[in-house]
Amino acid sequence: MEHFINLLIRAVFLENLALAYFLGMCSYLACSKKMETAIGLGLAVVFVQTLTVPLNNILMRGLLDEGALSWLGPTFAEIDLRFLSFILFIAVIAAAVQIVEMAIDRFLPALYTSLGVFLPLIAVNCVILGGSLFMQERDYTLPESIVFGFGSGFGFAIAIVALAAIREKLSYSNVPEGLKGLGITFIVVGLMSMAFMVFSGIQL
Amino acid sequence: MRQLRRLLDRAGEPFQKGGRLERYHPLYEAVDSFFYAPGDTTKTGAHVRDAMDLKRMMILVVVSLVPCVLMALYNTGLQANLVIDPARTDALEGWRHALLQGLGIGYDPSSIFANMAHGALYFLPLYIVTMVVGLTWEVLFAVVRRIEVNEGFFVTGLLYPLILPPDLPLWMAALGISFGVVIAKEVFGGTGMNFVNPALAARAFVFFAYPAQMSGDPVWVAAPTDVRIDGWTAPTPLAEMRLGYGPIETQGLSWWDAFLGFIPGSLGETSALACLVGAVIIIVTGVGSWRTMAAVVVGTIGMAGLFNLIGSETNYWYGMPFWWHMVLGSWAFATVFMVTDPVTSPFTDAGKWVYGIIIGAMIVLIRVVNPAYPESVMLVILFMNVMAPLIDQVFVRANIKRRQARHG
Repeated sequence: MEHFINLLIRAVFLENLALAYFLGMCSYLACSKKMETAIGLGLAVVFVQTLTVPLNNILMRGLLDEGALSWLGPTFAEIDLRFLSFILFIAVIAAAVQIVEMAIDRFLPALYTSLGVFLPLIAVNCVILGGSLFMQERDYTLPESIVFGFGSGFGFAIAIVALAAIREKLSYSNVPEGLKGLGITFIVVGLMSMAFMVFSGIQL
Repeated sequence: MRQLRRLLDRAGEPFQKGGRLERYHPLYEAVDSFFYAPGDTTKTGAHVRDAMDLKRMMILVVVSLVPCVLMALYNTGLQANLVIDPARTDALEGWRHALLQGLGIGYDPSSIFANMAHGALYFLPLYIVTMVVGLTWEVLFAVVRRIEVNEGFFVTGLLYPLILPPDLPLWMAALGISFGVVIAKEVFGGTGMNFVNPALAARAFVFFAYPAQMSGDPVWVAAPTDVRIDGWTAPTPLAEMRLGYGPIETQGLSWWDAFLGFIPGSLGETSALACLVGAVIIIVTGVGSWRTMAAVVVGTIGMAGLFNLIGSETNYWYGMPFWWHMVLGSWAFATVFMVTDPVTSPFTDAGKWVYGIIIGAMIVLIRVVNPAYPESVMLVILFMNVMAPLIDQVFVRANIKRRQARHG
């Protein structure tokens, strides 16, 4: 139990995909102008991440790993298909995103229009693929990958919602002409990432 | 005084509209309002709805910092004089010691004057460098962007040297305050428009850029290691705990010493008593929010109590009671002067409670479970600065929803 709490906290804060690894910057910066959009994208990322990381984990252990195909017969025991993981992971992610997109279009049309092009773009969001690849690199078990998937998605959601709140507050600021828009946002993200370093080194 | 007024008026002529130096008017305006109360009050910025203007607010914070500054002078000198080996004072070099020895002040730890003088020789250079570098940036931005220099920097410029270790090289302090003023404040438009505390951002910058000068055992006492009494490393009490010497009670440190501030540490943050005096001034004059301070206290007590209940055989931090947490490190200083910063903390009352409680709990949490940093307070507050707008949003939205439900 303690192990999983530790993993969750690491995934949310310490190894925050947005603010520690700087993954998914395009949607992170573009979708954080308004709170509603940020919350929507954050929820979408949490959902897709919690779904795809464990799914990819099952596939990795059932198909890709060395000896994973031995259930087909003794001749397949030697095969190592790990070089296919990029293609397989992306395919799973694309399918999952399609499902989420259809669901949001059906049930939350307002959110669907405000997310615009970024929802399909989640399919190629580095956060999602990065999560699965971290899972593979660190060789998580299935329960671990569920916790990690949720935690990393949740961490991204917190980061983007916090950024959106700051940007709404900054609309009252007097930013120099040349820095308005993305320029100041980069500075904000840098300061946020410095603040997130408070967690580096935590041991539970 | 009238002569000064006349002098300022005469010198100010080229700075007025149409004058030769019109572009540099903020510079003149700053000098003028430093000596004379200006006829107008703050019109925009952090205090739109309050009759109290920025100048009075900032000067009250400076007043409430005076006890901390005095303690900084005394304690920095005291700690240095305590560890300097009286037999080896000849080996001390540098302009500070040339001055101390040349004037015959000496290194007697029982003499208040010697301690004050020794401490001042460390505090004043840091303070002067901070003010000169910081104000240069402020004036530069004011002139180029045609805004006015305001009093906010007097607070930042005083807070920042107080949270530095005494022996920090001056160029590092200058670099840190440049980062704090420019990146954390001026690019957002100056006082009242930033979202992280510039003094904290400056300190965090120095902390991550030059860890050797900002952490570890020897830096907290202003005396070169080779002239210290043998075997005296003088780490801060928090660092001693980190090394696992044992529970805090067994370390030959009395709670009253820690409360009064006679322990090694950053310049101005060792004395909880001086911070308490500051807290009274800040609360009575209404500059800082008592809610935020009370919430930090609640959070600290709750979290420390929780860890006390859990207990641990190997980690002595678990057993540290909250009254120790409050007197060690920068807890007191940060709670009074950093957490209550009206610009970077939430604006809603409920948000202030949440903000403070999370800060109090996180300070204890990071101290106990994070062996990477002996002290976490400043970084925790920086982190919550980032989260403050979000907390506000949550409560504002909840309020809107509630009122919509009530009134249709």
